[in-house]
Amino acid sequence: MAGNHQHSESGTAIFFVWVALMNLWVYPALLMWTFIGILIFPFLFSVGLIFLRQPADRLMRWFVWVYGRGWLLLMSPFVRFRREKMERVRVDRPCVFVVNHFSFFDTYCMALLPQYDIVFAVRSWPFRLFWYSAFMRLARYLDVEGSSWEETLSNSRSVFAGGGTVLFFPEGHRSRTGEIQRFYSGGFKVAIDAGVDLIPLCIDGTDQLLPPGRKLFRPGTVTLRAMEPIATDDYRDKNGHILLRKEVKEQMTAELAAMREGRGK
Amino acid sequence: MTEQEVIELIDSSLAEEFELERDAMTPEANIYEDLGLDSLDTVDMVIVLEGAFKFKIREEEAVRGIRTLGDIHRFVLSKMDQKP
Repeated sequence: MAGNHQHSESGTAIFFVWVALMNLWVYPALLMWTFIGILIFPFLFSVGLIFLRQPADRLMRWFVWVYGRGWLLLMSPFVRFRREKMERVRVDRPCVFVVNHFSFFDTYCMALLPQYDIVFAVRSWPFRLFWYSAFMRLARYLDVEGSSWEETLSNSRSVFAGGGTVLFFPEGHRSRTGEIQRFYSGGFKVAIDAGVDLIPLCIDGTDQLLPPGRKLFRPGTVTLRAMEPIATDDYRDKNGHILLRKEVKEQMTAELAAMREGRGK
Repeated sequence: MTEQEVIELIDSSLAEEFELERDAMTPEANIYEDLGLDSLDTVDMVIVLEGAFKFKIREEEAVRGIRTLGDIHRFVLSKMDQKP
């Protein structure tokens, strides 16, 4: 018994040291990565515009994706990132992604997707983060809170027309309970209106990594799983978006439960 | 239906549709600030109320003026009074 107790105490001590090391590494590294990114971005972006001849917004979205990949790389000594069933994401076909929301870190985890041309539909407050705001506007992210529904719809259509995808966090806020909260309708209506597939994504582990209200990262595993794409043609009647929203929430709740059962396997 | 039954049907329908806490559903509760609904939810709210009470209200100007749960109660009760 005494041996087990000592073993458990030493395990706890090692865990705390590991958490301390993680935070001592991660915060400065992420700040440095962001700072360097902001410094060299104008040069790289100009070179990209001249030589790649891509539209500025799409090129910006590629930079955002690369920046997100950088975050994941810097976290990787302490966090195992898993991508599952990504073959379900067709990068050549516009769609709407909907993903559950546990953590500030979820947005960076979208760099796990094979698709870089993603327009995030976000609330107004991220546009007030001065170090990100200009990049978000350049990438033509959707301010769903500060725009009318018609503007959101029209901007989404133009993203799809350019071959891009739109990503919604249908809960609107990070969950503070670790469970999926109620869904808002916006993303579902956009997908139905545009006639594009809707792909639910389930993210697990960021609620352990950095939940709302906590400042320190904790080591762990983050898994992003793509679910079967849903054709939205069958949901075009007046209640269709409500039905789609409810079905998707049910499926995501079940999928997340299955992912949690499989944790560590 | 009595007035209380109408109010109960409104509240239970909205609570189910928008997963609202019944404790927060007071007549004074602002549907946006206190109950967390957004502009698209008001469209869904109309669909839910139409389904629950079997009337058409989507073209009604008064729907745009709804701000609190009490406004919804009064609006639906007045519609019920107009029903033949």
